[in-house]
Amino acid sequence: MLKYFISFFILINYFSLFSQEKSEIDSIYKSTYGIKLGLDFSKQIRMLTEPEYKGLVLIGDYRILDKVYISIELGSEEKLVKNEVLSFKTEGSFYKAGINYNVFKNIQDLENEIYIGIRYGSSKFNHQLNSFNVYNIDQYWELNNNISNSSSYENLTAKWLEFVVGFKAQVIKNFYMGLNLNVNRVLSQKSPENFSNLYIPGFNKVIENNNVGVGFSYTIQYQIPFFRKKNN
Amino acid sequence: MKNKILILCIYVLFHSCEPDDICIDTIDDTPKVLIGFYDKDSKIKKEVNNLMIQGIDNDEIYLIQTLDSVAIPLKNLENLSSYNFVKDYTENANSSGNNDKLFINYDFTYKYISRACGYITNYELKDLVIENDNNNWILETEIIITNIIDEENIHVKIFH
Repeated sequence: MLKYFISFFILINYFSLFSQEKSEIDSIYKSTYGIKLGLDFSKQIRMLTEPEYKGLVLIGDYRILDKVYISIELGSEEKLVKNEVLSFKTEGSFYKAGINYNVFKNIQDLENEIYIGIRYGSSKFNHQLNSFNVYNIDQYWELNNNISNSSSYENLTAKWLEFVVGFKAQVIKNFYMGLNLNVNRVLSQKSPENFSNLYIPGFNKVIENNNVGVGFSYTIQYQIPFFRKKNN
Repeated sequence: MKNKILILCIYVLFHSCEPDDICIDTIDDTPKVLIGFYDKDSKIKKEVNNLMIQGIDNDEIYLIQTLDSVAIPLKNLENLSSYNFVKDYTENANSSGNNDKLFINYDFTYKYISRACGYITNYELKDLVIENDNNNWILETEIIITNIIDEENIHVKIFH
């Protein structure tokens, strides 16, 4: 996780250097308003590195004000979680909706973003518990503590709030690439009986004690320009 | 603002990573059945002299001790656990003491604990049988608590 932070900081520095050089030019220029559609391709990278994961996330941004974008994400994830004591599969779909606020002051002809954002997330999912260990310190009977148990927990839901920081850079005309990091907190959830929502699609791994999760995404988007407008 | 959020991200990341993935000792594991020994007439606690406890079909002795209460483990995947309770046991002497066979019948369910600890077993006691051998030191048994979910109170009383 740390390496994403580091690369993120490097990029922020790169951008700020950029802006310092030429930001004195106070020229009037027009910037594009439109809708950006694309993919969070961190999920595809995850599918290559984590064989027990499948995910597809579509993202869209719509610029409503000079610095404000409405952001929507739609996605679906499947994840097999295995640790020393549990093995279960979670699958489900989710949406996230919110706004991004661009804090980056673009110089002429550049349309990049460094943004902070907030999202409301909602997910609907199922868990399939495959096996678990019985926590039993006294092993007098030398029992097999690994119990195969096929239980499914269906129609579970979770709502959460997500804080996002990230950037988007226009790499070719109307093509944007970006990275963002997020911290999430569960607002409400429907938990299974005698199990717990340890993984929530869209939210990622849930820390049980405080219902917090973290995530990141790499985005690639194409912008459909609607019109160009002079900045204030 | 941006910096504050980044600091928050980092704080939350490092603050909350560890405790979730380790099963800490303070979390109670699968409870055992807690047996108390009482005097048949006065109904007050009475120690059993040199009690040797060994599971039937288990090569290992569970304990040898003079005590007035003991917790013994039940099997997870079966509805029956059987034990030899030998009173006045002397080590290195074959078939010493008075052996009573105890059969514990129960149902069990698994209860979710956490990501790191998994599940524990909870038991529901059905029946306690002492095999009649014409020389039983255990005179009577009584199930006090049917549902074994912890080891706080005596589940079973044995009168002798």
